[in-house]
Amino acid sequence: MKIPLKKVPWAFVALVLFVFVALPGGAVFAQQIRVIASWPALADIARQVGKDLVSVDSLATGVEDAHGVPMKPSFVPRLNRADVLLLIGLDDEHSWLPALLEVANNPKILPGRPGYLDCSVGITVLEAPTRVDRAEGDLHPKGNPHYLLDPVRAKVVAQNIAGGLARNFPQHQPALEKNLKAYLAELDTWIGRWDKLAAPLRGVKYVEYHPEWVYLADRYGMKRIGSVEIKPGVEPTPNHIVELTQQIKQEKAQLLIYGAQNPRLPKQIASETGIKSLRLYSGGGGQPETDTYIKWIDYTVRSLVQAVS
Amino acid sequence: MVFSILRVPVFGAFLLAIFVLLFPVLSWAQSAEIEALRGAVDGLQQQLKNALQRIDQLEKEKNATTGKIDQLEQDKSSTGARIGQVEKSIQGVQSAPTALNPSMGFVLDASIDHRSKAGGNFNFRSAELGIAASVDPFARMYGFINGSSNGVEVDEAAAVTTSLPWNLTAKGGRFLADFGRLPKTHEHELPFVNEPLAVQRMVGGETQADGVEVNYLFPTPFFLRATFGGYNKLGEDNDRLDNAKSRSWSRFTYLTRLNTYFDLTDNQSVELGTSHTYTPSVRLPGDNLDGNRVLNGIDLTYRYQPLDSAVYQGVVVGTELFRNSERFAFDDGSKRRQSYGGYGYAELKLNKNWSTGFLFDYAPSIESPGKKTLGYSPFVTWNLSEFNRLRLQFSHMDDRVREDKADRGNQVFLQWTTVIGAHTHGFLGR
Repeated sequence: MKIPLKKVPWAFVALVLFVFVALPGGAVFAQQIRVIASWPALADIARQVGKDLVSVDSLATGVEDAHGVPMKPSFVPRLNRADVLLLIGLDDEHSWLPALLEVANNPKILPGRPGYLDCSVGITVLEAPTRVDRAEGDLHPKGNPHYLLDPVRAKVVAQNIAGGLARNFPQHQPALEKNLKAYLAELDTWIGRWDKLAAPLRGVKYVEYHPEWVYLADRYGMKRIGSVEIKPGVEPTPNHIVELTQQIKQEKAQLLIYGAQNPRLPKQIASETGIKSLRLYSGGGGQPETDTYIKWIDYTVRSLVQAVS
Repeated sequence: MVFSILRVPVFGAFLLAIFVLLFPVLSWAQSAEIEALRGAVDGLQQQLKNALQRIDQLEKEKNATTGKIDQLEQDKSSTGARIGQVEKSIQGVQSAPTALNPSMGFVLDASIDHRSKAGGNFNFRSAELGIAASVDPFARMYGFINGSSNGVEVDEAAAVTTSLPWNLTAKGGRFLADFGRLPKTHEHELPFVNEPLAVQRMVGGETQADGVEVNYLFPTPFFLRATFGGYNKLGEDNDRLDNAKSRSWSRFTYLTRLNTYFDLTDNQSVELGTSHTYTPSVRLPGDNLDGNRVLNGIDLTYRYQPLDSAVYQGVVVGTELFRNSERFAFDDGSKRRQSYGGYGYAELKLNKNWSTGFLFDYAPSIESPGKKTLGYSPFVTWNLSEFNRLRLQFSHMDDRVREDKADRGNQVFLQWTTVIGAHTHGFLGR
C-alpha cells in the first residue's frame, strides 16, 4: 500500500497524536506499581517494602528546604503517571504539592483517594501547637512533621506504605507483608545498634536552626536549648542572635545543627561560642552517603556522635 | 593386802559407777546436741518452708498485680479509646459545620505613591478575600472577592473539575483566563509593584474572563499543556466588549495556549508558552462593519533556583511579547491597527528576606501603535516573612502616548502587602 505524498504530513500528525493520546505515558510499564514520593527517604522505604513490585520516584532530592521545594512543572507528568503518592503529611508539603496535584490530572492520588498515602497516619506526633497563630511563626498546626528522624517511628511509616500499597493492589499483599516483615527486622537490628552507638548523645544540649530535630533528640536523649530562627520559618533578629549566643555559653551547648538553611549564621555563632556546627539534612538523600533510609539515619547518628566525642 | 585386794574392785566399781553415772550424762549431752541440731535443722526447714511459702505468695501477688496492671492498661487503653471516640464524636458534632467551611485568606495591598506629574496618594490598591474548597468528589471551587477604591467585585469565582478522564480539566465561571504568564497573575502577586503597561494596554489588565476553559495535559515525559477557552471577553479593563450582553457566538473570544517547561539542570529551567486569542467579530460603535480581533502572546521564563538554597538565592528572568490586531473607529472611518509590545524583567534573590530586580516596559497605544511608553523600573523587595512584604520601586516612564498623566514622568511606590489565613493562587500563580 502506498501512501500518497500529500497525505504524509497528516499521517505523521496522526501518528504523533496516537503516540501522545492513545498511549498514555508509562502504560508500557504497567506491570510495576508506579510510586511517587515527596521525599527520598519515603521513596527508599517504599523500595524496601515493594521490592520488584514497585518503581519508585522522588520529587524532592533531599537537599531542599521543606518550605522551598521549587514547584517545577516537570513534577506534573510524574505525578500524572503515578499509581500511588507517598507524602510526609502534617502539612510538610503544603507549600508545593497541593498546587501540583491541581494540575496533575490524576484523580487516583488526590487527597482522600486510595492512592494518596499520608505516611503520618498512626505516628505519635510531637510539638503539636496548642495555639495556632502566625504570630508563632510558620507553624505546622498538626505537629512537627520531621518524624522520619526517629527510626522507631519509621517502622510505622513502613507499615503505612505496605498497608497502603496492599489496599491499592491486594493481589500483592502476601509479598508486601513478607517484604515488610524482613524490613522491620532489619530496622530493628539497626535500631539496636543505633541505641548503643548514640549513648554519648544522652544529655547533650543542642541548638537547631529550624525545629527539625525533636524526634531524634527525643529518641536519644538530647536536649534542645534554642533555635536560630526567632520563630519557625522566621529569620532571627540581631538581638536574638546575641541572646542565643549567651544562652549557648551559659548552658554549654555542644551542637548547632542546621540543614538546608544558609550556613552563614551557624558558622558565625560557632566561631563566637565554640559550639560545633553541623550540617545534616532532615529529609534524607541530601548527602551521597544517605541514599537509603538506613544509611541516612546511620550517617546522622554517627555524625552527631563524632561531633560530641 | 586385803586393802590391796579390796582396793581393786572398789576402784573398778568406782570407775564403773562413774561410767554408769556419767554415761547417761554424756549420752544426754550428745543427744542434746543432736536435738539442738535437729531443732536448728527443723527451724531452718521451717524458715525455708516459710520463705518458700512467702516466695509463692509473692509470686502469686506479683502475678495478681501484673494481671491487675495488664487489666488496668487494657482498661486504660480501652477507656482512652472510648474517650477518644467520644471526643471525636463530640468534635465531629461540634465542628462538622465549620470543618466543611472553605479555607479562607485575606490579602491587603496598599501603597504610598508619588508621581511627578500626578502627585501623591495613599493608595488602597486592593483587599482580596480568597476562599476555596472541594465541591464534591468531582469538582472544587474557588473565589476571590476584591475590594478597592473603585468598589467591590467578584474577581474570580470558578468551579474546576477534578476527576475528568483523559487528562482533561474543565473550568467554568469567572476566572483569569490562561493567556500568557503574568497577565493571569493577581497584581499583589507580581514580582514588582504595578502590572506592566504593555499588559494593561494590550491585554486589558488581568485576563479576567467569564466563560469556560478546558485544559489538556499531554501524556509526554515532559510538561506540555494545552488550553482551549471561550469567553465573553478577555481582560478586566477591556471595555470594548461587555460581559452582560447576549451576543452572536462570533462575538465571543476564543483562546488556545500551549505551555511547556524544561529542566536545563537540577537548578535551571526554562518555561515557554504561546497564547492565541481570536474574536471573530468585534462591532464598533457607529460602524456596521465587523472585523476580527487577534491577540497573540509568547512568554519565556528562565529560572535559576539552586535546590539546596532556593529559599535564599535565585534568579528569574521573564519576558512576554504581545501582538494585537484590531479595528478601531477614527474620524475618517474604521481602520485596522497592529501593535507590538511587551515587557522583560529580572529578579535576583539576595537572601531569604531581600530581593531586587528591574522591569523594562514597552507599551504601545493599540489605537496608535506609533506612540509608545517606555518604562524603566528598578525595585527592591523586603519579605519580612512569607506573609508580610514591603517593596520600594522607582519608575521612569518615557510616555509618548499621553493618555494618562499617571503614566508619565518619575514615580516612586512603597508597597505593603500582608496576608492572613490560607492564601494560594495555585499552580498558575507560581
